[in-house]
Amino acid sequence: MTRPELLQIFRTTASEIAEKDLKNIEETRVIAELGIDSLELLEVIGSLERDLNVRIPDDQLVGIQTVGQLITLVADKLPKS
Amino acid sequence: MTPSDADTLVSCLSQLARSCAASAAAGTRGFHFRALDGSERYYPFEALEREAHARAARLASLDLQKGDRIALVIGDPAEFVLSFLGAAVAGVVPVPIYPRASFKAKNAYVETVSHIVKAAGAKVLLTMEASKPVIDEVLAHHPGLCRIVVLEDLLNQAPPQSQWTPPRVDASDLCFLQFTSGSTSLPKGVMVTHRNLVANARAFLGPRGIDRRDEDIAVTWLPLYHDMGLIGFVLGTIVCNITTVLMPTEAFGRRPNLWLETIAKVGGTITFAPNFAYGLATKRARDKDLEGLDLSTLRVAGCGAEPINPRVMREFAARFASVGFRAPALMPAYGMAESTLAITFHDRDAPLLTDVVDAERMKAGEAKPASGSEGTLELVSCGHPFPGHELKIVSEQGQSLGDRQVGEIWSRGPSITAGYYGNPEASAAAYTDGWLHTGDLGYMSGENLYVCGRLKDLIIIRGANFYPQDIEWAVAEVEGVRRDNVVAFSVMRNGEESLVISAEGNSTDAANLRTAIATKVMETVGLTVGHVAVVKVGSLPKTSSGKVQRRRTKAMFEAGELEEHPV
Repeated sequence: MTRPELLQIFRTTASEIAEKDLKNIEETRVIAELGIDSLELLEVIGSLERDLNVRIPDDQLVGIQTVGQLITLVADKLPKS
Repeated sequence: MTPSDADTLVSCLSQLARSCAASAAAGTRGFHFRALDGSERYYPFEALEREAHARAARLASLDLQKGDRIALVIGDPAEFVLSFLGAAVAGVVPVPIYPRASFKAKNAYVETVSHIVKAAGAKVLLTMEASKPVIDEVLAHHPGLCRIVVLEDLLNQAPPQSQWTPPRVDASDLCFLQFTSGSTSLPKGVMVTHRNLVANARAFLGPRGIDRRDEDIAVTWLPLYHDMGLIGFVLGTIVCNITTVLMPTEAFGRRPNLWLETIAKVGGTITFAPNFAYGLATKRARDKDLEGLDLSTLRVAGCGAEPINPRVMREFAARFASVGFRAPALMPAYGMAESTLAITFHDRDAPLLTDVVDAERMKAGEAKPASGSEGTLELVSCGHPFPGHELKIVSEQGQSLGDRQVGEIWSRGPSITAGYYGNPEASAAAYTDGWLHTGDLGYMSGENLYVCGRLKDLIIIRGANFYPQDIEWAVAEVEGVRRDNVVAFSVMRNGEESLVISAEGNSTDAANLRTAIATKVMETVGLTVGHVAVVKVGSLPKTSSGKVQRRRTKAMFEAGELEEHPV
């Protein structure tokens, strides 16, 4: 899976869960400024985990600030092809 | 059945283990801890008791004496419960502290942990490898705070050699300290004795409450460092012998549907959650999620810990009716840590009872039934106090008020705790002659209690009373406003109270949001908003359970510390 594809999945999932248009957000955006609260973000993570069949432990989420950092974290969990 | 002569958590656990072992049901009743990956650790009550005793001996080897306090920062529910019970058997007083949540500010957490450890005078802080880095940060800021012990290390040591006998634990001994993260900034440690715990558990699980049955299966994802999860689903279910399935809170956070799916899967009969969770479950359930879901076993779906919105309750009941959910299972409840847990419960298996009152008369503290459909407020009945407990509504001058008069809710009885640990001033302010001053406003209509909101958060504008939650719920309906991220309060401006709404939102939406919020408040409560502060997402102060802290928000606003978007 490519990085732009991962970004696209994040955009769609976050838009659905937070019920707002986040379809054009870029990797440089700070998550705290997207208008998603921590509960919704956890739900987004849960949804990504199921869609991509990965596991992202809570303690690794500590310190994640931008969309790009989160994408990197998810990408690292994917099996290397 | 519940052993009736046991009067402490420790003796209840021992009797429970003995009666389970001696019965035909040996090994079949106990706690099922579900992990995030769906695997399960099962502890029959017999094993729970054995493990509690083994851990008590290990804790005693840390030179902990009866009455010493031990802080527990343990995220894993099974390890938390076993450590808590081990401490109780050793006569040591556990002090649960929430583990740090992801995405949350680090500094506030460091300060909260250090405050609780100091206020409790904890000798040891027991944590796990996974939380060690955060605890090390706490120590970096507060060197010498207390001894830190990592649970994995403690369990890996050879078992203590010398024969150790647990101390005698009496009903009047402290069972644990429940630190409350109310609306003020510094949590206070409520002193819960064994007597309080056993009295409250037998009240809310007894015939006038949930009315426990042998075949019950309780299901929860509630955090165990809070009273509703800890007492409702761990300590209470031990006292009253109820098999319980415990899911990690993050499991619900990552996938809210898992809550109801688990109930359906295990045939759950009892669950409890705050209002927001019922709203979220309703919103997240798509038609295909309902396929194969069966909620017909659920006989008690309790709701408490925050104001109950009747619309949320009705929508939940309607959404899940087709999969066997029975609306009368919804059981509104009212309580707080200072009363151990529960103060009132709605009747079991009775339809939701609401009261529609005249909003205009409520401003004068009178809950008069509304005549028309305009200008009304709808409140949910939280039911009545338990046998042996009393309730009254009291005026500012301390006089008992009559039916439908709004005043402070006071409660008295064996569930009422003795006060705050090491804080006689706060205790004296909250308790008199055995009466707990709850700090909540409410009224009685006949036998039923209706809760209006926090006394200190009441907004009084030109002599009229407004309850912030009514305004906040209205504002939350404005598009672009985040649920649970709105605070309404009043400040003095030129000698008059002026309404301030603070809501989290995006900088690009700030100007539109201000107009939309002011319009909504005018339409619904008829008030002119003095100021709408649209602030950065995540910047409103919250409690550990995610509730907005109104008084802190107000203090931050007055100090110019709210990060408002420029408009």
